[in-house]
Amino acid sequence: MVQQQPVQQQSSPDRLSTIFGALSDPTRRAILARLAAGETSVTKLAAPFEMSLPAISKHLKVLERAGLIARGREAQWRPCRLEAGPLKDASDFLQRYRRFWEESFDRLEDYLRELKMREPKIPELKIKEQKKNGRRK
Amino acid sequence: MDAENSVVTEPQERVLVIERVFDAPRALVFKAWTEPERMVRWFGPLGFTTTVLKADFQPGGGYRFHMRSPEGADHWLQGVYREVVEPERLISTFCWADANGNPTGPETLLTVTLDERGAKTRLTLHQSGFESVTARDAHNGGWSSSLERLAEYLAKA
Repeated sequence: MVQQQPVQQQSSPDRLSTIFGALSDPTRRAILARLAAGETSVTKLAAPFEMSLPAISKHLKVLERAGLIARGREAQWRPCRLEAGPLKDASDFLQRYRRFWEESFDRLEDYLRELKMREPKIPELKIKEQKKNGRRK
Repeated sequence: MDAENSVVTEPQERVLVIERVFDAPRALVFKAWTEPERMVRWFGPLGFTTTVLKADFQPGGGYRFHMRSPEGADHWLQGVYREVVEPERLISTFCWADANGNPTGPETLLTVTLDERGAKTRLTLHQSGFESVTARDAHNGGWSSSLERLAEYLAKA
């Protein structure tokens, strides 16, 4: 199985940057985790944090701009809820990076094995560290 | 259920951390990373061919690779070396780009550390800062890999 693209993403770089930027703050991550349990009001959301309501609202705006949460339009009770799509985009993006490296490292492993077999013929690879260790394999 | 705690107490700030032990001396692994003719032998997913267009191995020096997928799709990868400490550490920026060098993904910071494990070498790769540089400067923080768990949780919910 071969992946089509190394790590590029469907979402635009700017959009992903906004998502990752929004996720870079621990309070905002905690808010998202709370919302994972279901939609809730801003007041309830703010309760566990030692933070003013306006401070929490600021965080919510950042999350909303990134598309990570949506808020109801009812004047008083504006329930917040999680939007899974962008989170999944960000997570998929990371998974592609992980796969990029894991597959590269598989190849590096093979390459190093091959080099080690040929090693005595390559003077530049006779390394002092190796002598220091006194043994190979 | 305690989803909030699993996120809040997660101290890890780096996005991606991958460790691998290679059965080869450290200096050799370092060479495999830093010598272009060696690097192209393994860099990239299976089936990709990599060409080093530029690799100026010194702090502040730039690099640019071309990669072609098995299906013939072209990708470019570029960045600047920040720290080169032979044979143990390599820090560089890392960014996907188009043919003209315009970024197509967020700029990330890549730290590769090599530790001796007897005759073997443990490689630790840290890749962080997936938000844009501007966003990173503004927030001055990383974010947690718990995001992945959260996304998994959401997928099930």
